[in-house]
Order: sequence, then C-alpha cells, then structure tokens
Amino acid sequence: MAERKPKVIGFCCEKHGMDAAVLSARSGKQFDASVRLVQVPCTGRVDGIHILKALEDGADSVFVLGCLEKNCYYDTGSIEGRKRVEYVKQMLSEVGIEKERVEMFNAASTNAWAFPEIVSKMVGVAKKLGPIGGEKQ
Amino acid sequence: MKARIQVVLCKCCTEMPKLLNMEKLQKLAEDSSMVVSVMTVDAVCDGKDLARIVGEAKEREIDRAVVLACHKKDISPNLLKAYRRAGINEFLIELVNMREEVVLPHADEPERAQAKAETKLKAALTRAIMLAPLEKQSEEMKTKNVVIVGAGVAGQAAAHEAAKSGAHTVLLEKTSKSLKVPGVIMTHAQLVGASGYGGNFQLKIKAGEKVEELGAAAVVIATGGGWTTLKGPLAKAVKDAVPLYKFYEHMQSGMVPKGPVVIVDTPDPAGKTMKVQDYAWDDTLETVIQLKKKHPELLVYVIFQEMRAFGLSELAYKEAADLGVRFIRYDKAGAPKIDAKNPIALTVKDFSQGEVLDLKFGTLVFASIPANQDNQMIADALRIPMTVDGSIRRGSIQRWPVTTPKPGIFVCGSALFPKSRELAKAEGEAAGTMAGQFVKRGMIEYGGSVAQVTPEKCSACLTCIRTCPYEAPFIGAANKAEIKVQACQGCGMCVGICPSKAIDLHHYTDDQVMEEARTLLGGDF
Repeated sequence: MAERKPKVIGFCCEKHGMDAAVLSARSGKQFDASVRLVQVPCTGRVDGIHILKALEDGADSVFVLGCLEKNCYYDTGSIEGRKRVEYVKQMLSEVGIEKERVEMFNAASTNAWAFPEIVSKMVGVAKKLGPIGGEKQ
Repeated sequence: MKARIQVVLCKCCTEMPKLLNMEKLQKLAEDSSMVVSVMTVDAVCDGKDLARIVGEAKEREIDRAVVLACHKKDISPNLLKAYRRAGINEFLIELVNMREEVVLPHADEPERAQAKAETKLKAALTRAIMLAPLEKQSEEMKTKNVVIVGAGVAGQAAAHEAAKSGAHTVLLEKTSKSLKVPGVIMTHAQLVGASGYGGNFQLKIKAGEKVEELGAAAVVIATGGGWTTLKGPLAKAVKDAVPLYKFYEHMQSGMVPKGPVVIVDTPDPAGKTMKVQDYAWDDTLETVIQLKKKHPELLVYVIFQEMRAFGLSELAYKEAADLGVRFIRYDKAGAPKIDAKNPIALTVKDFSQGEVLDLKFGTLVFASIPANQDNQMIADALRIPMTVDGSIRRGSIQRWPVTTPKPGIFVCGSALFPKSRELAKAEGEAAGTMAGQFVKRGMIEYGGSVAQVTPEKCSACLTCIRTCPYEAPFIGAANKAEIKVQACQGCGMCVGICPSKAIDLHHYTDDQVMEEARTLLGGDF
C-alpha cells in the first residue's frame, strides 16, 4: 500500500497571510504540496464550524494564518481569529482529539521565511498523528 | 442551478506548461456540465489576450468565469475592469492563484502538482457556481471639509497640501496663536465628539465655551507631543529643569545657559516600562551642536538610554562628539539619580565603562516628549485605537504610515511618536495629501462584499457591535442589529462571532468557504 499522504488545510487572510505565502513562493521557497489554502478576507471571518467541518471532511491538521496582531489590516482581526482557534482547540480536547491539529499563526507580508516553516510544522503534525480516529504511526 | 461558466487557463508565458499538463486541465474543465467555454491564453495580463477572453465571453453569453493565473492582486484590476465592461459582475469572477500556490513551490513534484492543480480547478468551479452577483453603491460627500486637529508643524503642512486638492481646511488650535495657512482657523478649539463614517463625519467641536457641530469629509490628527507635562523623580528634585524645546527657544533668544548643561532623556529614567516617548531623538543632537558652536567653553553632557537618529542624522553623533559633547549611556540598573537636598549634582553609572560618575550641573534639560494628553479624548471621540504609550495608533506601518484603521481619518507628526520638525512636516504633507485626495473623489463607494443581518435570527445580543472595529453594526428601529453599509469594510469579524449565526458576509458565506475546503480535501495529492 502506498504511503498515505497527509492533508493539511490552511485558512489564509487575503491581506498579510496570503501575501506571505505568495512572497515565499516568489522567493523560490519550496513547501509540501499537501497544503491546501482557502482564502478568507480576514482571520476574524474564520468560524469554529469551518475548522471542525474541515477536520470532519478528512483534514489531518488545520492552520489559520493571519496578519501580525499589532499590524492587522482590520485592526483586531487576527486577535479575533486567535480567539476562535483557541475555542476550537478547547472543544477538540474535550472530545478527545489532539488539539495540536489546529493552530493559529501570524506573519507579516514581508516574512518570506514564515510560510514554509508553518507548512512543515503542520505537515509534521499531520504525519505524526495520522488520520483522526486512526492508529498512530 | 444553471450556470454558464467560462474557464480561462493562463500559461503565464511559459511557466505553467513546464510543470503542468495544460491539455489535461483543459479536458477536465470541458467535462464539467456547466462550463461552456475553455480557453488557454499566453498571458492574462496581456491586453490582446484580455480582449480575446472578453470577446469570447460576450459571444458565448457566459455569466461567470474561473481564471487560473497568478496572484489575485496582480491581475484583478485589469481583468475585472474588462469583465465589467463586458457586462459581467466582478463578484462572479473566481480567480485561482495557480502560479504561486502550485507551480513555483512544487517544482520538484510534477505529479503531485498536477493533481493539486486539478483539485484547485474543481474547487474553483464549485465555488464559482455558488457565487452571487453583488452591486456596489456610492454616496456623495456632503462637504469638502478637512478638519485638522492641531495647528503645529505637521498640521500646517497638512493644511497646505490638502488645500492644493481643493479641500476646505479647518484647523483646530488649542491656544490662540495666529497663523498664515489656507482655510479657517478655530482658536481655543477642541474635538470633543464625532459620529458618522469616512466621507460624512459629524464632528462636535468645543470652541471657547460653546459646542459647535461641523460636517467633515476627512479628519487629520496632528496633535503633536504633550510638551508641557514633565513628570518623574528628576523633574521633582530639580525645580528649574526645562524641556528641550523650551531650552532651544531660550537659546535662540540669546540667553546664555548656566553651565555645565546636562541633557537627560527622560525625567523618569528608572520607571517600570520604557515608552517610545522616553527616547532621546535627533533634535537633541541638533540642539547640542548649535549650543556647542555658540558657546564652545560650555561643558555639555548627554545622558541617555536610547537614542534615535534617522538616516543621515547619525552623522550628527560624530559632529557633536568632535565638538566636545560627552555622551553617557546608562541602563536601568545605573539610572541617573539626583538627591533632592542637593539639586545641582547627578549620579549615573556609565554603561559602557562601568564607572559611577558624579556630575555637577547648572542647567538640567529633558529631551523626551511625552505623549499628548488630548490623544485620549480624540481617540474616544473618533473611536480609533491608541498604543500602550498613549499615542494614536496607525493602521499599518508598511501600507499606510499616516492612516488610522478607520477610513477617512489620518494621523501625522508627534501624535504617533516624537519626531523632528522635518519628519513631522513630511508626515503632515503626506497626511494632508491623502486627506485631500480622499475629499477630491467626492463620492464614497461602499457595498459589495459586506455583512448582512437576517433579522429573524438576530437576538440583539450586541456581540457584533462590540466586535466591529468600524462601528458598522447598530441596533435598528426593529430592535434588531443592522449593518451600516457605508462603514462596513467586509472583514467578517461579526459574522464569525455571531452566536445566532444571524450575520452573513457576501462573497464569503459559510457555504462557500466550507464547500471550497471540502472539495480541496477531496483531492488526493
């Protein structure tokens, strides 16, 4: 049987978050192909249900990437986003799913190094924990 | 649901075919039942190809499109304009970033990249079917007023620049100083209240004893630093200590200072937190150089923890040192102390030498410029955020250095943090130009991707009102939340937080986001 490929989904804000991803690609950085990016206007838009549904639909790990908290395009957006993610993490630990599967990150649009680091971290988590409910590798 | 979708595959000159199998992608798009036209073009950013795409769109009577190209921000202005001319709503165009998300970062894995590209195309088609057309509206600005709070260096520069764009400038000055600037000057005036949104503000201004109402299109905050407030143990111990600007004025008027002159950065050097206002700035260097040139026999010490000198002002360090100014750096453990019983001597530990120095001084000067006390009142009135140091917060350091997060409100000069006159003037000019250009448009455009409340679901819990940084939600006549569309910026913070799920954000509805995620997770790569 072929090795199972991890599935990582990332909700990126269309301001700094997406710009950081684009800049890292333009500066020649390579990152794991298993990451899927969904664009949202702001990380404050991310709802708990989006993350939970993504996990239900087969994602091994989910990350939310927004602007730096002190330099957010929408002022308090990434702080709101972090609150949502913390809430989901708490919910996951209550139902017995590893809360490391969900993580919030912040990056400035000029941080080309940030995005590949985030991806490798989340892919590492997905590989380590395997599919939800499945046996650990 | 029936839809007529056009799919455009951009080769990005030659970049995409290097890694991806374009024929396979084209085949996949053609297989979808709703797709009526598939095109592969060399470059979407090329005018000729753009004309070809729009021509095809008109001919096949498509109603929405999926474009696989590069970063959204790079191609969207021209592409959306062309589609709009062809009569297709810009919110029905789905742009997929194939270049930066697939081709560039996965150059070593062509198979996985191909699978990813196919999944992304599928997800884009799913999302395109769910998109709804949205209209933008516009509203005329009622006035051309630009209200500038503070008539200092930055405020005057802003007034000159704003007037160039045809704006009516109104300067609010706390004191009674008379100036020669374009526009109206209100003396003894303070901003005490405000309502409205960028383009149509209603300001409450306290001029003298009465409170006046004034309509404004834009507001520039140029309050400057809090010059007169000196608080701290050093200021308490030495009664005749002066702030730097006063010392400079005395020097200009020909007064000979009693030597030796000691310039300390802040009156509270051992304080718990160090604020940005406690730094010594490049005007300190300017002052000591002038002082030394006038009175070479004077002993001058500059005692500081942090010194900020921008750009070429760094050279002033050397110039000052050559003239004989002595710089002493300290850290918090060896902060300067003055015994209140003997207010002519100062003890400080030199950070670089490790020596404890006793200095006798004739004049004590403080270089710091504390934050303006009025900032709090202005921030409360306009409801804009402040920094922990008590100054006005700007929106984004890189994108808009003179803009607050609220559209139509600009900030410049020492209201942000202390700075030299030249820098304050430059910032004032920038803020004035931005405010002038904002007013020159005459219209405010709003709508499009904004939030909307379903009144039946709303329980009027006020959560959205507390969350929104732009004050768009309010409780309407029917005791339900409503969104002031003119103020809404489309971030969707209220949508995510609404406990009753009563608010929805157009163009990024829950269904659209979750369906896209689901389709993306369906692919195996």
